[in-house]
Order: sequence, then C-alpha cells, then structure tokens
Amino acid sequence: MSFSYTVRESVSGFRRTRLSSTLSIVTICIALLLMGLFAVITIHAERFLEDLRNRVELEAFLVEPAATVAIDSIGQVITAFEGVDSVMYVSKATAAEIFKREFGEDILTVLDFNPLPPSLKIYLKDGYKTSRQVQIMETRLRTMPEIESVIYHKAMLEVIDKRAGNIHNVTLALGVFISLSAIVLVSNTIRLAIYAKRKLIRTMELVGATRMFIRLPFLLEGILQGIIGGVLAVGLLYGILGYLLRLVSPELAAFVHMEPAFYVAVLAAGALLGFTGSVISVLRFIGSGNGH
Amino acid sequence: MIRFHEVTFAYNSTKVLDNVSFEVKPGEFVFLVGQTGSGKSTILKLIYMDCLPTSGSVMVGKYISSQLGRRETPLLRRTLGIIFQDFRLLDDRSIYDNVAFTLHVTGVKGAEIRKRVLRALAEVGLSHQRNKMPAELSGGEQQRVVIARALVNTPHFLLADEPTGNLDPTTSREILQLLKDINTRGTAIIMATHNYELVRRVNERILQVREGKVYEVELRAS
Repeated sequence: MSFSYTVRESVSGFRRTRLSSTLSIVTICIALLLMGLFAVITIHAERFLEDLRNRVELEAFLVEPAATVAIDSIGQVITAFEGVDSVMYVSKATAAEIFKREFGEDILTVLDFNPLPPSLKIYLKDGYKTSRQVQIMETRLRTMPEIESVIYHKAMLEVIDKRAGNIHNVTLALGVFISLSAIVLVSNTIRLAIYAKRKLIRTMELVGATRMFIRLPFLLEGILQGIIGGVLAVGLLYGILGYLLRLVSPELAAFVHMEPAFYVAVLAAGALLGFTGSVISVLRFIGSGNGH
Repeated sequence: MIRFHEVTFAYNSTKVLDNVSFEVKPGEFVFLVGQTGSGKSTILKLIYMDCLPTSGSVMVGKYISSQLGRRETPLLRRTLGIIFQDFRLLDDRSIYDNVAFTLHVTGVKGAEIRKRVLRALAEVGLSHQRNKMPAELSGGEQQRVVIARALVNTPHFLLADEPTGNLDPTTSREILQLLKDINTRGTAIIMATHNYELVRRVNERILQVREGKVYEVELRAS
C-alpha cells in the first residue's frame, strides 16, 4: 500500500465531495465553538469561585487583656495546625485603624475608649478553604481558652461549596452531552461523505484493495476536516473573546482570558472529533458487505 | 483453475443455484448463458467471492471459499479481472487514472504503474484517449477502459458480466473480438451474456444456467 497515494486520495477526495466535506467542517466547527464557549464559561465560573474562596479567612478574637507573650505562643500553636497557611496578629490599635478606614470615624472619639478586641487573622492553605474544613478549624479554635470568639463568612463559603458542586456536575453532564452530540453529528456527516463515494469504495473492493487501504483515506480525510474545523473554531473563539466581548462588555472582557494552550486544545479536539467521527462511520459502513 | 463443487446458493431462502459442479481451466474461454435472473451474475460473484456458497465449495486457484479468511479476499481478487455491464468507471478521474487505480490499490510503484497502464491502454486501443474523462468517451470506448483496468493487473481469469449489454451490435462484436484476442494471449475468460447471436459467432465452450442448474451446451450448426 502506498502511503503517499493514500494521502493524495484523501486530499483529492476532499475536493471531489466539496459539499459533504464543507458540511463536515462546518459541523465540526460549530461543535468545537459550542464546546469552546462552554469551556470558557466553565473555567471562568470556577475561577470566579476560586477568587471568592481565596478571600476566606477566620478571625479569632482574643480574651482581654492578652499578654504579648501569650499572643506569640497562641500564634505559633495555630500556625502548626493542619491546613493553616499563616497567622496575622491584629492589635487593638490596628483594629481601631481598620474601623476608621471602614467607617470614617475614630472609635476613640465616638466612645472615649477602644472596645475592639485584639485578634488573630488565620489564612488557610488551598484545599482547606471549604466550609467543612473551616468549621473543623473554628471548633478547634473555640476550645482554646485564650480565644473568645471566631468569625468567618460562613454563609458565603457554604454558597461557594454548593455552587462549585453544582458547576462540576453540570459541567460534566453538559460536557459529555456536547461531546457525544458532536461525535454523532460528525460521524453522520462523514457517513454521507462515504455514501457519496460508494462507487469508488465498491470499485476498490473489487480490484483487490485491502480494507485498511479503503478505510485509511476516509480516516485521514476525517482528521483533515477536523483540523480545518478546529482552525475555524479557534479563529471564531479568538474573535468572540478578544474583540466581540470587548465591544459588548469591556468589564467582562478584562476578566476573561484564555491561555494559548486552550486554542491548541480546541485544534486537537477538532482532529480527534474528525478522527472519531470517521472511525465510527468507516467501521460501520466500509468493508462489511462482502458476504463474510 | 476454477472449480465449483456441489455449490448451492440461496438468497433470502430462495435457491438461486442448486448443487452445481463445473470447472474452468486456465486459458479457456467460457460463455455463461441464461435468462436474466437465472444466476449468471451470482456465479461470477461466487468466483470473486462477493458472496459465499450456502453449501459446497468454490475453488479459485489456491483460494477455497470454505477456508477463505477476510484478509485473503483482496488477494484472491488481485488474481482476477472483473468487467461490468455498467462499466463502474470512476467519473471523477481520467482514463489513465482509472486504469492506474487498480495498480495503486495493489501497491505497485510509480514507474511500473506508468509502464503497465500505457501497455494496457495500448492493448485496448485507447492510448491516445488517456487524458480524457470517462464521460467524454462512447459506451464502447468506456467498456474498453474497463477491460484495460481489468487487464492491467495481468489476471489469471477475466470475469465479464454482460460486457456488451449496453452496447450496439457492432461495438458488441468489437468488444467480443478484443476479449478473444486477450484470451489468445493466455488469459482465461468467463463471459456472462444473454446475447445468443454473439455466442454463435465464436466457437467456444458454453455453460447454460437454467433453473438453478448449470448445463454444458453444444451449439447446433445452423
């Protein structure tokens, strides 16, 4: 079998059945565009939730009066807890400054004394910023006699956890659905292309072509169509994310950013989609009708 | 050698061939005659193993239907040349490419392809038409291209399924003469036809397919 002939046959087969080839390419392009946009939305929704999650911190208020030595040792104990990234001490004076920044008034002017207790801000490592882990941490902190109370954005964390779970499930279901639909669409379109070439296939069978020789040009053609569909989809996605989004919503455009690897992945997905679609059709419709 | 041994072939529980046995030796010219639907094409299909016997066996050279593996079917077909009534030319490529196609498929290399295609086209008298597309040729010329395509692989047997079915009487006689010439050079030919006028023109072996059986027929001098 001559490989160069097979390649030439794939390329010229492409020209010979322009309509069905174009249909395949457009189908692959639309499928990839859908999958790409879906990936962009999913990635950014997760990125947004991750940003929110990164803001999670616990604040443990200390029992007054707290001696400087005691604060240092509590800080060291908490830093050694599993999942703690760092601990920052907020003195009464710093708390007063924060109050002034937030409310525009000096607490000493309002009340004549500073009621704000000193506290420790506890930052957690990635993977420990879930409501369950934070709750475990809170319980542990509350058992310490030097700590009067612990606060954190409990409600926000619960919402993030719930939404993240939902996003994962929806992403998985939709991802599988879109991929399967794309494969079915592409395989059907390639089946039409094979049907258009049934005379060629029959002649090949009768003059002694092996099944692999008959199938290979269709598989290569599928990959080629996938790559062309992929290039078109990459162009459209780049245009939508880089230009169209900026025109429609500059704020959203500033937030949305995709790495070059994403575009390479879309291209690879195109080739894979073309290949898978043609494999399905080729295995089903070529070389199964000779009485064996 | 082609040998049918007690071959029965049923299609959708209808018996097309019933316990048929015959042989075709290398270099023979055999007419397969019978009415439309009598089973002539089925016999040819059984030879190139497009279908397999319901019972009995077909032997073509070293290939036996009952022992034929999937991968061997293409190898068997490379020892045969097949000619169809409806030509089955690929209308998207030139005459040259139509003939060369068989050699590409069977893995022959470039320079050898050129030599063999030009020789086959010369044999059927179409060298000068090699760059034309099939649609630009007459029916007789198209059938010559099909013969060239069948010949280019130097087959042991040439199977012709109603090769003159779509041609006028004069062109039919020319095609028959061409097949006779090919046969003279050693290629065995099995030609299915229902054109008795054509069969009478040459004194060759005749097998008649009738009601599922195959009979040897002697032509009566008229």
